[in-house]
Parts: sequence; C-alpha cells; structure tokens
Amino acid sequence: MTSADLVRLAGRALLAHRLRSILSMLGIAIGVGSVIVLTSIGEGAREYVLAQFSQFGTNLIAIHPGKAKTTGMPGMLGGTTHQLTLEDALALRRIRGVEGVVPLAFGLARVEHGERGRSVMVYGVTPDIQTVWRFHTRQGGFWRGGDPRRGEAETVLGPKLARELFGEQNPLGRFVRAGGARLRVVGVMEPKGMLLGFDLDDSAYVPVATALDLFNQIELGEIDVAYAHPDLSERVQADLKRVLMERHDGEEDFTITSQEAMLEVSGNVLRVITMAVGAIAGISLLVGAIGILTMMWIAVGERRGEIGLARAIGASRAQVWMLFLYEAVAVALVGGVAGIAGGLGLCAALGVFLPGLPVRTPLEFVLAALLTSVATGVASGVLPARRAAALDPIEALRAE
Amino acid sequence: MTASDLLGLALRALRGHRLRSGLSLLGVAIGVAAVIVLTALGEGALRYVTAEFRDIGAEVLIVTPGKTETTGMVPGVGGAPNDLTLGDAEAVLRRVPGVERVAPIVMGTETVAAGERRRQVAIVGSTHEFFALRGLELSRGELLPPGDMRRGAAVAVLGSTAARELFPGRDPVGRIVRVAGLRARVIGVLAPRGTHMGLDLNEVAVVPVATAMRLFNRRSLFRLMVQMRSYQQLDAGKRAVIALLAERHGEEDVTVLTQDAIIASLSSIVRVLTLALAAIAAVSLAVAGTGIMNVMLVSVAERTPEVGLLRALGVRRRQVLAVFLAEAALLSTTGGLAGLLLGWLGTRLLVALYPALPAAPPLWAVAASLLLASGVGLLFGLLPARRAARRDPVEALAPRA
Repeated sequence: MTSADLVRLAGRALLAHRLRSILSMLGIAIGVGSVIVLTSIGEGAREYVLAQFSQFGTNLIAIHPGKAKTTGMPGMLGGTTHQLTLEDALALRRIRGVEGVVPLAFGLARVEHGERGRSVMVYGVTPDIQTVWRFHTRQGGFWRGGDPRRGEAETVLGPKLARELFGEQNPLGRFVRAGGARLRVVGVMEPKGMLLGFDLDDSAYVPVATALDLFNQIELGEIDVAYAHPDLSERVQADLKRVLMERHDGEEDFTITSQEAMLEVSGNVLRVITMAVGAIAGISLLVGAIGILTMMWIAVGERRGEIGLARAIGASRAQVWMLFLYEAVAVALVGGVAGIAGGLGLCAALGVFLPGLPVRTPLEFVLAALLTSVATGVASGVLPARRAAALDPIEALRAE
Repeated sequence: MTASDLLGLALRALRGHRLRSGLSLLGVAIGVAAVIVLTALGEGALRYVTAEFRDIGAEVLIVTPGKTETTGMVPGVGGAPNDLTLGDAEAVLRRVPGVERVAPIVMGTETVAAGERRRQVAIVGSTHEFFALRGLELSRGELLPPGDMRRGAAVAVLGSTAARELFPGRDPVGRIVRVAGLRARVIGVLAPRGTHMGLDLNEVAVVPVATAMRLFNRRSLFRLMVQMRSYQQLDAGKRAVIALLAERHGEEDVTVLTQDAIIASLSSIVRVLTLALAAIAAVSLAVAGTGIMNVMLVSVAERTPEVGLLRALGVRRRQVLAVFLAEAALLSTTGGLAGLLLGWLGTRLLVALYPALPAAPPLWAVAASLLLASGVGLLFGLLPARRAARRDPVEALAPRA
C-alpha cells in the first residue's frame, strides 16, 4: 500500500459514516474557531494599545518624582524634599542629544466661557509638546516658546472642550476662565482620542507656569524628554540621571521610564492575557480530541473484520497503524480548517458590527491553529491506531 | 415501562461500553470543571477586592478635590484650583449633621532616617481619628494625640516593616527619626497589616496632618475621610458635604465617593469578566455535546435489533425515545457531577497554592453548569433517540444486509 492508498482508504472510511465524521469535525472546529476569535481580539487590543502609546513617538523618556527603595548606606545625611522643578527641566534641555523637554503639571479645573463650563483635565506644558508628544493644533497655534517660567495667560483647547464651550463659533482670540484666571484661546488641538481613560480631546493646555499658579504648586508632576535617535537612549538616560542627581544633592529621588521599556512591558502583559484566554478556549480543543478518540476507538471495534482481512492479505502492522492515524488526523485537520474559516468569518463580522473593537489575526495564529489541529488528530489517534495494529489477524477475522 | 426501568436500561447500556461511556463523560466533566474553577477564581477575586474596601467601613465618605464630567477619570490626580483645606475638614465636622469623625489626609513619599539607616516610605499626614476610621491597631506605644488638627507636633507612628527596618532589634518608641528637615519622635508602631488599596500600611509613617503639610509645603489635603454615625445617614451626609463645600468654595468642585459605589463599580467589572471567561469555558460543553451525540448515534445503530424487538413487544415510540434520551442524559449528568468533583478539587488546589485568594465556586455557577451539562445531554441525545424511535420494527428486526 502506498500512502496515497492509505489516504484514500481513510477518506472512504470517513465518508461511510458521514454524520459521525461531521460531528467529530464540528467539535474541533468549535474549539479552533473560538481560539482564533479570542486570540484575534487579544492581538487587536495589544496593537491598539501599542499604537496609542506610539503616537507620542518612541524616542521618549518620562521622569516622575519619587522612588521607593531602601538604602542602608552609612555616612549620608538626612533626606530632602527635592521634587522635580522647572529648573530641573531647564537643566535637562542642555543635555546633548535631547531634542525637547516638556515639564508637566496637571490637575482638574473648571473651564468656563460665558454660561457654559466644564470640569476637565488641565495640562501645564510648553510648546515643545508639538515635537515631544507629536501633538499639533488644528486651528491657530501655541503660545510663544521661550522661558517656561513665564506664564502667559493663554491656552490651547482640546477639540471636544472647544466644541462644548463655543459650539460652532470660532474660539480663537476669545477668553475662557479657569480657576480665577482669564486665558486667551490661541489654538485648538487635533483630535487625539482616549489614552488610559483620559480623554485628551476634553482637556485644556496652558503654559506650565500658569498651571503651577492655578494649582498652587511648585513641583512638576512629570518631565517628558524626547531624544534625537533611538541609539541615544542609553546615553541620554544615563545623562538625565547624572544631571538630576547632581541637582538633588546626589539623591536619586526620581524614576526614569523610557517609552521603549513601557511599550515592551504593556505589550507583554497583554500577550500573556491573550494567551491565558486562548488557553481557556483551548479546553474545547481538548474535549474535541477526546471526542475523536472515542469515535476512533469505536471504529476500530467495528472494523475488526476489515483489519483482519487487510493483515491477512499482507498489510503490515505499521500500515494498519498509519491507516487509523491518518483517519484521526484527517478529521482533526478538516475540522481545524473549518474552524479557522469560521473564526476568520466571525472576526470579519465583528469588524463590521463592532467597528470599535480592534480585531486582528496574524498569519502565525492561523498556522499555529493548523498545526494544533494536526497535533490534536495525532494525539487522539495514537491509542486507537495502536489498538488496531495490535489486533491478531486470526482473532480479528474470527470475530466477523 | 416505569422510570426505574428506563434508568436501569440506560445504565446497563452504558456499562456495556465502559470505555466509550467514560470518555464521553470525561468531555462533559472537563467542561464543567473548567467553568467551576474559573467562576471560583472570579468569586475569589471579587471577595478579595470587597474585603480590601470593607476595612474602611460602609459609613465612610471619601472626599477628593476636583470634579470632572469626563468619564473614566480617577479623581484626585494632580491638582485642583480650589484646595481642600483643614478649614473644610473642621467645617464638615462641625456643620454636617450625623458626622462621627473626620480624618484629613495628606500623602507623600519621603526618606525616613534613623541613625545611619534610611528608608523611603509613604508619609501619611492625618489625625488621631485616622486610626479608628481605618481600623488600624498599634502593636506598641500610642496613637497621634487628639485635639486641634492645626497643631503639628513632631511625632510619628511607624508601620511595622518600616519600624523593623529602621530600628532592627530595638524598640523604636521614644527614639528620633528624621524626615527631610524634620526630627520626629516615634510614639507608636502599627500592628502588621496587608496592602490596602495600593498602599502598604506596613511601610508608612503617620504624622500629624499639619506637620505633613509643612513638610510637603502644601495647603491642600489629598483627601478627606468622613465617617457618618450610621449607614442610613450616608446619602444625606454626602449631599450635605457637597453642599457645604460648594458654599465654602463658591462652586461644586469636589468628588465624594462611598465605599458602596466603589465596590459596586469594581464588582460589576469583575463579574462581567468572570461571566465572559465562564462562557468561553462553557463552549467546551457544546463540543462535549457533539461527542455525546456521536456515541449515541453508534449506540442506536448497534442496538437496532433490540429496538425492533422492543417495538414488536408493544413498546411505544415515545418509550423508545425515552430510553435513549435517558441514556444520553445519564451520560451527561454523570459527567457533570464528575466535573463538579474535579472543579472542587481544582479550587482546593488553587486555595492551597494562593491562600490570599478566597476562591470558592458560587452556588449559581454550580447549579448552572450542572443544568447546562444535563441540557447538553438531552439536546444532543434528541437526534439519535428520534432516529431509534422512528425505526420501523419489521425492518429493524430483519437481519442486516
């Protein structure tokens, strides 16, 4: 017997019990389909989140005040209340390779125009956010750059806030009130969407000194630094640390996070979640495999006479073994392909009916699903195939 | 035929093919066990989260500066134009009816030093009332002194880990710690406690609120905790606090949260996640159903002569249908019961591995998965059973070609 013969024999056996074969295949198809759909949603979510972060550019470093650690070093004097200040931000600007520095102070404030008002996030920034965050205005522009310690009474509104306050009117040149200050609107931002639950479109951007004044603070919430080239990442981080520690009496009371590191961590977390959900869906595959195993076991019992005959006319044990294994793999593979088709169809349907849900199926997932189907077939076919191969031809023929 | 006859017939048929019955049963069992373990996990997470918030007490209001109309925002991030001040705290205590106690809170991270040893800990600035409000107990020493909240004495109560790290093997009470420029006398040490809402209460130093405000050069409170005398007064208290602060600030610019609201929003999230995962696991029950249908089809085909005989003896179609349905239902229900056992064992294993997570399958999940398993058996057994019942007795008895 050639392998073509084996395949044909296996195919004929499957066709002889159409309903049975279809049911076994359906089991695998449901399993593979649900794994495909769920991992596609997970992958889509991962890419969506990464894209959200990357819109700020990747050559980005964030510095936050405070660092939790224990030191037992002798000979050091008492702690300090050093926090990140505007002067720190100015000092960082002078580091080689640094393209832009955004000192950031933020808080909640009610922004009002006439009778209308909205409580929104107010970000104290510098015009550098245009290069550092890749934030651009849709209308007008930013206040003039220069010394960030000068707090101009000017603001750039997020598009949603501008619409809420001014409706269809042009907000440029008009005034809004925020926490007692009167600010002239000089620009309106491009729509940016949500980031980690913060609606960037429903926000106001003001000079950082104005924000510090508004919120009665002296320290910054964060400093963002953009550097010119990915290769500079390590050197710039080391320089940032050195300069800040010099300014903070040798104490590392701040935390430096690079965008690369953050992207990697959040990407990994989402991947692990996707895998876990995929594994839960994979339980169906296990159950499907048990289904194939049961049916093949029954088939071996039913076809003892056939097996005995085949052995009697010269088929080897190995060939009988292969015959049943092929059958199991064929069921699993056809079921798997149907499952992939169904899963992809469902993903496409999701894309149409829920356009907000990011769904993406990488080719690797499809290939992995195919391989898993074959593996499932092999795993569920081995035991019945061994049982068939172990049959004594004489006994098997007598049973008929 | 009586019901016990039906059951006996079904049982005998299943025992005649132990392996295949066992395998079909295993499929259902795996599905049910997966649902049980996942819902147990979700329930555990829910109980853990709820317990985290229970320590605050249900009659506590949390007032944070700033108010927002945008969804999904955490109040208390960054600054707000109107400070929440000690004056506000005093006004709430004095003027809101039904207030038992208030605890103003200022927070920051600072290096605390004792001799040569240094440690970064969370500094909580509050008052005498804070400890009762948060259910914190001392292992030694005494609490922050009661009285005027504007008087900032140079004293501190340390968390257990902070005390141990700063004063290894020594009694910290009565000794001096340095916090930035401040020298404070340690007057008490907290009993060990778990992490709570992201704040490790073992790694804190509690100082008088006025001291902390001076230390951090801040006029605004981080938040204000208000304990009402009874839970019934919570809603009235919330409205009164908002109205009072709006009057004092000239606008409504605070957010007031209750434990109930926080727990409700968190538990609805956890519940939806649990349900989604359980539903995904339940897909495997459908797959197990296809397995049962297959085995039943084989069983019907094998027992064609038996069916013919039964019919020839005067057994009705409906009774034949019942025989096979009973077989399928028995198969899946036994599988479901086995799954419950398996799921229970899995849950026990989880609890043994992660004692912090109080995992236990909720009753609804046990009932629903068992019901679903039996339902799957009946549904997928219907087609094969009908096939058997429709068989013509004469043809069924005729020797097979």
